[in-house]
Amino acid sequence: MSLSHIDALVAFALIVSTVFALITKNEPREQLRYGVFVFLSFLAVAIAVGWIMYPLPL
Amino acid sequence: MTSNEDSPSFDSVQSTVRDEPQPTPPISTAAAVAVSAGAWLIPGLGHILLRRWVRGLIFMACVVAMFIMGLAMNGKLYGAEFEIPLQIFALIANLGAGLPYLIAKYMGLGIGVMTSESYDYGTTFLWVAGLLNFLIVLDAFDIAKGRKP
Repeated sequence: MSLSHIDALVAFALIVSTVFALITKNEPREQLRYGVFVFLSFLAVAIAVGWIMYPLPL
Repeated sequence: MTSNEDSPSFDSVQSTVRDEPQPTPPISTAAAVAVSAGAWLIPGLGHILLRRWVRGLIFMACVVAMFIMGLAMNGKLYGAEFEIPLQIFALIANLGAGLPYLIAKYMGLGIGVMTSESYDYGTTFLWVAGLLNFLIVLDAFDIAKGRKP
């Protein structure tokens, strides 16, 4: 199975945010809102950190 | 002196109570531990046993999907080899997946192909599948003890 970085990131974020939302919230609307928030946060933080690291000589 | 407008009416109180998810009547600690053991062995089974069908099936799908993706990405499943002591944490994380881990180990899967470009991702997926299942087990235990709805 060959996934690009972004594919793996999206799959990871989707699964983890789903579990987090179902564990931490009880109402379906709250679960949806929190799950979307966590999912987008995963993507935003990963992309932001990626760009911060981009100019570093790693 | 309070007027009727200051306090919520009986109808609104009843409506609020009815709309909130009702907690499961707490079961004995032994039964809760048995449910947790089932939840560990088969991801999502704890919630299914507690009649949270949808939640349990979603948990099962999430953990199993992440585990299979980890294997498909050539991730490594750690066993009881302790040449490097810190590997025990990786083993604990892997063990969290329960039966999928045992089946994969029995079938000789998860050897970890370090030359694969997705090796690190796959190994991380396998760890996180187990760690998520630990959280799910704790959630099932809390529900069984009536601590959350």
